[in-house]
Amino acid sequence: MHSIRTSPLSRQRGNGMADGEANPHSVQAVQYLDDLLNKTLHLHITDGRMFVGQLKCTDNERNIILAMTHEYRQPSQADVKLAAERHEKGGFAGNVKVDMRKRFLGLVVVPGQYIEKMEVEG
Amino acid sequence: MPEDDLAEEAARLTINGDNSDRGDLGFVAKRLAQEARQTLSSSGGSRGIRDVTEEFTVAAKQLQPGQLVKDEYFTLFEAVGALEIMDPKMDSGYVPLGDTLEPDFDVCKGLPAEQVLWIMDELLRLTAVWHDGYPLSQTIFTSLHVDRLLSPDNRPPYQLSYGDMTLRIMTVEEQLVHIVLRAYCVALVKSCALVLHTIQSQNFYEEEDFVTHLFGRELLPSTGANDAIKLLDEAVKFLDGAEVRQVMRAALLERLHFAQTYISLLITNSADWNTLAAMGRLAETHKLAQPIPEAFSDKVQRQLATSTPPRPMIAISWDEALQRWTEFCADVVEADRLTCFDVCQSPHALHRAIWAFAYREPQPNTFARAYLQTILFASEQITEGMAFFDLMLTDMRDLALAGDVLADPQSFLIEMPSDSRHRCSRIIEMFMDKAFDEYMNLYRMVCQNRCRIRRTFTQSVAIFDSLETEAMKTDAELESITPGIVLPHEDGSGKVALNPLTSWVKYHRLQTMAWTTQLGFETDIYLPHELSMMYWYLMVFAQRRCKLVEHIERFLAARRKRFASSRDARPDDEAAASQEWLAVLHKQADFEASLSSALWQLTELLMTLGILQPPKRDYAQEQLLYDVRMKSYLGIAHDPIPTLEEYMSAAQSDQSVGETCNNVNSTIADAKGCLAFLKKTNPEQGKYVGTEEQWKREIKQLETTCVAVAVQTSQLRRVADKHGKLVSVARDASMKGMLEVSIPLPGSRYHGWWVVPQIRERKK
Repeated sequence: MHSIRTSPLSRQRGNGMADGEANPHSVQAVQYLDDLLNKTLHLHITDGRMFVGQLKCTDNERNIILAMTHEYRQPSQADVKLAAERHEKGGFAGNVKVDMRKRFLGLVVVPGQYIEKMEVEG
Repeated sequence: MPEDDLAEEAARLTINGDNSDRGDLGFVAKRLAQEARQTLSSSGGSRGIRDVTEEFTVAAKQLQPGQLVKDEYFTLFEAVGALEIMDPKMDSGYVPLGDTLEPDFDVCKGLPAEQVLWIMDELLRLTAVWHDGYPLSQTIFTSLHVDRLLSPDNRPPYQLSYGDMTLRIMTVEEQLVHIVLRAYCVALVKSCALVLHTIQSQNFYEEEDFVTHLFGRELLPSTGANDAIKLLDEAVKFLDGAEVRQVMRAALLERLHFAQTYISLLITNSADWNTLAAMGRLAETHKLAQPIPEAFSDKVQRQLATSTPPRPMIAISWDEALQRWTEFCADVVEADRLTCFDVCQSPHALHRAIWAFAYREPQPNTFARAYLQTILFASEQITEGMAFFDLMLTDMRDLALAGDVLADPQSFLIEMPSDSRHRCSRIIEMFMDKAFDEYMNLYRMVCQNRCRIRRTFTQSVAIFDSLETEAMKTDAELESITPGIVLPHEDGSGKVALNPLTSWVKYHRLQTMAWTTQLGFETDIYLPHELSMMYWYLMVFAQRRCKLVEHIERFLAARRKRFASSRDARPDDEAAASQEWLAVLHKQADFEASLSSALWQLTELLMTLGILQPPKRDYAQEQLLYDVRMKSYLGIAHDPIPTLEEYMSAAQSDQSVGETCNNVNSTIADAKGCLAFLKKTNPEQGKYVGTEEQWKREIKQLETTCVAVAVQTSQLRRVADKHGKLVSVARDASMKGMLEVSIPLPGSRYHGWWVVPQIRERKK
């Protein structure tokens, strides 16, 4: 499988490090990120939406590719009102449960700059 | 918290209806389902969520610019299809600054009759566009009223208001929305469900022909089509007594009536679409409508499940939409007529009928073609009393075994195991079993879009070729039980038998090879400099068909001689009819051979003279180009196609320009002679019952084509003469710069299958 950009080797002049020489921090980082692959992430972005999907790919700008992604939105005032009305009508006790709005998107890439919070399942 | 239904979602991703696209789609769907299952089992659901923002950010910063951490099976190819969030062009959920998520329109608000009328007409327009193959997200789902009915927040009985409307006293305008418009929307949505059912039960190509995607919505599952009709009845009742201007009442009733008729036709699968077509009167009252474009919005896409970027709403005019409806209705009515009982009695006539349907202008839409397939294939038989088996046997009988006991339906009813007829019938049945799928494809595949017809038939050629092996074995077995007539070989050496089944398969293979080539011309896949070679091959295929028909005719004549001495008239009548038809087939093949020969010679001459030239290709090799172009035919084992060398040696570049022009003209004269014969055949002889008009029209087009070839040849001759090249050997002459050639595009030809180069003198 191929990298999307050119090999890191050509960009390491500044560091003075060859590809084979391991920086212990970066090896650890790669290991950490590698362990997260295919896990389900919850990404909260700047406009309030949340994306839930399997992590497939990331880079040093924190751009995330998620597979099987669902997009979630906070329910609107109208949604809350409707849920409350139905709750009352149904004669249920206790708190009203309002589902987030959800829709399926598939494969998405979330640019790192828009991510406010990241959570992992499991 | 997210629900744990990833596997369910993944399962819904499998593409319906596209059952002939083996491989890639099935694999992808399986992998996605697997991923979903993996997720469910590994994460254990929504419990246990950890905030990793800090850790992740720190880790990511450690990577080199351009370094990726990715799953080993994740490919660049897939990454390209990822939707980029927050990019307005890709992210259908992106809400620009200052905009609201949802359109600011109250679907429960009452509307005047003029605006309700406009919305109803707009929905009709969008339904026509959907039928053309545009997805629901760009058509019917953009209606805010429909969107409300289909919203995941809505519950049966799917009112426009989530609140309780029964206790309110509604104004007339509110009633027009909640009773009339709602009923109309419900009916239209249920009609969509019925249309989808028909299309998805038959063969079609997703995205090419039609988009069946529902975007995560369901089409009012708790409401049946009959419930929708009841709603329409109630709406009609309401309108009859409502306080609405008479002229508006009439207009609205027309729309309701249209919706009722449309959904009723779909429920009963009736062909009586003329009643719908008669509703063209809708056009007159459309001018009463008052536009209310706010009732439609592409913002609905922000909430639809879609793996594609945001797409625009489709704009075709109201008149165009009405035109589409009219054509649509006409197509369904014609589909019924073309498959009537009489036509279905003859496999060849039926086949012609299906081709005629496919070649209607404009091409029938996906539903109409699915409707035709439903008529033919949904039940166990082609028509009353004609099972698929009967159709196939009749085909064999008509072509190769007229009057012969082998293909007599009575023979198949003999139960005595020692009877040779019983034994032969069982053997023939086994062969027919093997050939069944590909034989029925001859009918089914013509109901697909043009490019797919060509591509599927290309694959059929190989299958018929392997069937020929089976046929030869079967013929040998039959020969050992019931020895048939044996005649001396045409070239005098030895004897030859009819080998009826082999001949039958071979005929269909040769015919399919010719069709794939012709469809190649029609779909414009050959470059100008390839025309010469393709016409030469078409000529060869036609000549081989001629020889095969002659072979069958010899045996038919011999069989008839035997009948002369028997008392039973039926086999002889059958044989006589077959003879007449074979004569027609022979002439058609002759014609094809002649016209393609003329065009081969003409285009070859143009190449030799340097007027038609291949593009400059430094690394191209003739053999490689040939292999790629003729790929589908190279694997044929039974009488393989001529090689590249054989084609090149057939070249006539050592003749003079004048001689070649003469040859073209005399070949065209032969072709015209064939057409004259064909013109005189009646529908029974030519087996074109049901397609009489198309037969006549096609002969006219072919006559015009012949004349066009002669005209272009005389153009060439005139200019050659002017420059003194007429007697020069073509190979040594060059007329570069003296002539211009243009190749007519599909759509601007006299007959779509024949490309006549337009030759013009280049003026200095």
